[in-house]
Amino acid sequence: MPRDSAKKRRAKPRRSWLWKSVGAVLAIAIGWCGYLAWSVGSEFEGRRWDLPAQVYAAPLELYAGRALPADALAAELRRLGYREDPRLPGPGTYRLGLGRMEIATRGFDYAGDQEPERLVSLAFANGRISRISEASGGTAALVRLDPLLIGSLFPAHGEDRIIVAPAEIPPLLPEALKAVEDRRFDTHLGLDLRAILRAALVNVQAGEIRQGASTLTQQLVRSYFLSNERSWARKIEEAFMAVALELRYSKDDLMHAYVNEIYLGQDGARAVHGFGLASQFYFGKPLDELELHELALLVAEVRGPTYYDPRRHPERALERRNLVLRLMADSGLIAAAEADKAAARKLDVVDSTRRSATQSAFLSLVRRQLAADYPASELERTGLTVLSTLDPAIQSAAEGALADGIAALGKKLDLDGAVVVTTPQTGEVRALVGGRQADVEGFNRALDARRQIGSLIKPAVYLAALESGRYTLASVVDDSPIEVKLDNGDVWSPRNFDGEAHGPVPLVRALAESLNMATVRLGLDVGLEPIRDVLQRLGLAQKPPLYPSMLLGALALTPIEVAQIYNTIANGGFRAPLRAVRNVVDEDGKVLQSYPIEIAQAIDPATMYTINQALVQVMERGTGRTLRGQLPADLVVAGKTGTSDDLRDSWFAGFTNDHLVVAWLGADDNRPIGLTGSSGAAKIWARVLPALEAHSYDAPPPAGVETAWIDYGTGAPSAARCTDAVQLPFPPKAAPPRAFNCEGATGLGARIRSWLRHDGGE
Amino acid sequence: MSARADGRARRRKCAQRKSAATAALVVLLGALAGCASLTASSPAPGPAPVPAPGAPAPGEPPAPSAPSPPSRPQSDAHAASEALLEQSRAQRAAGNNTQAAASIERALRIDPNNAALWVELGEIHLAAGNRSQAASMARKALTLTAGDAALASRAERLLRAAGSG
Repeated sequence: MPRDSAKKRRAKPRRSWLWKSVGAVLAIAIGWCGYLAWSVGSEFEGRRWDLPAQVYAAPLELYAGRALPADALAAELRRLGYREDPRLPGPGTYRLGLGRMEIATRGFDYAGDQEPERLVSLAFANGRISRISEASGGTAALVRLDPLLIGSLFPAHGEDRIIVAPAEIPPLLPEALKAVEDRRFDTHLGLDLRAILRAALVNVQAGEIRQGASTLTQQLVRSYFLSNERSWARKIEEAFMAVALELRYSKDDLMHAYVNEIYLGQDGARAVHGFGLASQFYFGKPLDELELHELALLVAEVRGPTYYDPRRHPERALERRNLVLRLMADSGLIAAAEADKAAARKLDVVDSTRRSATQSAFLSLVRRQLAADYPASELERTGLTVLSTLDPAIQSAAEGALADGIAALGKKLDLDGAVVVTTPQTGEVRALVGGRQADVEGFNRALDARRQIGSLIKPAVYLAALESGRYTLASVVDDSPIEVKLDNGDVWSPRNFDGEAHGPVPLVRALAESLNMATVRLGLDVGLEPIRDVLQRLGLAQKPPLYPSMLLGALALTPIEVAQIYNTIANGGFRAPLRAVRNVVDEDGKVLQSYPIEIAQAIDPATMYTINQALVQVMERGTGRTLRGQLPADLVVAGKTGTSDDLRDSWFAGFTNDHLVVAWLGADDNRPIGLTGSSGAAKIWARVLPALEAHSYDAPPPAGVETAWIDYGTGAPSAARCTDAVQLPFPPKAAPPRAFNCEGATGLGARIRSWLRHDGGE
Repeated sequence: MSARADGRARRRKCAQRKSAATAALVVLLGALAGCASLTASSPAPGPAPVPAPGAPAPGEPPAPSAPSPPSRPQSDAHAASEALLEQSRAQRAAGNNTQAAASIERALRIDPNNAALWVELGEIHLAAGNRSQAASMARKALTLTAGDAALASRAERLLRAAGSG
């Protein structure tokens, strides 16, 4: 258009230069205005769809028999933003009684599975839910709580929002915004001339810009273009765009956009936009459940979320909130008494970083799993809902275990670590901690720290030995100095961690005590290739070169890769790909993608069962026995320690019936940390354990497995009544015969060996 | 090993011996009956025949009069997972295999060592044509059925039907 009008004017050469200039300026101005109107309009339209995917934790399942004390459930409910209210006024409230609890649950749709709102009454006994009854009568087998929103897949250093639909906006909110920010919103055309004149007067008197007169529409425009510039030119542009928006859209549309758009806080790299997210960020619950004093605080934040940050400047925030309440009362929105009552309340802001930034490590796993199926643009813009596998209680316990565990080790500050918790049978990742400062987004050690795994590799060596058919757990292998000639001519002479040689030992003891020389001798006899094959079947994605040092774990893996391998071990030899996502659902609730449980048999169940019984011995008699005292006496667990050369890495992988926990400790610069697997990572694991509903590892023996008693120290046949006898599984007909006395096992020689036995290696 | 663990192991061993003979018989008969019933029903598309919970599968010999004691105690979540199993069967009968599978997965999350759930999920996979998952789940179930011969034979049948038995 500008070019057209310029041509016409050129056709009339008698016009003076003045007219030409005016025409040109006018044309440019019209073009500029057109451009502004177009850009603000496209921004307005575009923002409606610019929604990062929302990620939810796994919903909490309540059923009779579940080990969940009332106080732990109340903590979960508070995490979900449920309020304790004896009147149970509506969904999202609960009431505590003696040995019982009543909950008004929220209804929700879980990937097409409807969970209705319910009023249920729970009875507790001995730390368990003993009965769940419905208010409408009858017992309920199962009640599911709405899943916790754990975050969004917003762009790095970007904005995050939770879009609220018009129906979800409390009616009081727009009224309060108008009363406080823009009294004439309903009638003005984007600009409030009276307010501008008044502000101008104040500013002229003061000699500087002190008072603003921005309408809600102007604030919306400013938010779209993220400009803090206060120049006159910028203001004129904004004013024009505000008018352009008003001409095109209804007041309701503008208010809805404002509620979802306005900047209300900062959470690390994440800008908190819109009242939906702000409600979660400050109060941990949805917008429509806010009480008056909470709603007023959000309205107060509009004026300056940094200056009025309720966490950093609570007194300023409180003062402004109460001003908002007074203005609301003055405009007749609420009664004066109501305002006074709300003004007497505390800010009630939830503990910040702990709830919102914490799961960032887990969210990156979610992002990686989805990256295969969705481009980043789709995850960040199209309003998807992601139903994840995270267990918020385990996550927060694992975060605490790592932070407190490292502090308790009393090491220098550069010690850091990672924790991964999975459910072996389903492959679901229940928690993931990427560092001791879980609330700080940064290097995610659980996914990206690639470190030597040390003795964690040994179960693969022993699995390959059993698979060869030439060994059982009672087979004896020599734990004495060994020299291995390498291809490059060097000689490798591995030593035990304790520097001792233990002579002939049965496989079970060599694995439980993590004896290096015995393992190298065994591994060389079995062959490196079958061992690598076992590792790959267990879930190792890479194909490591075949060096003898592999036998002692000269193989660098990330904690999540270790978790995949041990998940197969804990799952009885069935590989279940680790998953962080169950479903992806679109804006209309349609399931776009499901990631179902998938398993594949990787190791013969009998062979896996046999090695797992040896891993139980790790905890009973081997390198993990120092933890025994910290665990419940009747809890059977299986595990393996790992330590890399010069004590640079401390690993532990341990499992019960329902959970695998992999813990790693190390320094980011790979310096020695002076910790073994059992003196470091195993202690982190022991701290996570109480948060898991731990059931003893009690896999039933697979068909065809025979059991026999052997002497733990020598591998000789033994019997239940003999000291140091251990009952182990064997393949059919390969079990040692039953000993008729204990002499064979605990004769003088064996007894001396047993006395002389030193604490094992790593 | 602690006395408690010893006792548990001994019980297991006894249970194994006691049930070995009956299990062999049941597996043999079950195998024959199972083959017959599967070949008979396989040409008909649609949901697989749904045995009523607890009732023996069609053509299967009745359970031995003295039932072998279960080698594992029922899990805390047993009642809840039973309810989901029923829900899943209703969904399957209504032709909604996706939701039926989702219900079983939900049950497995709270009761992951329940062999009946793995067999059920494997049967749903088989009905959906996913033979490799059906076979894997039958194998998984077989590692967890100790002491439950009827369930073991149902898993065996699933494994054969999946074509990898």
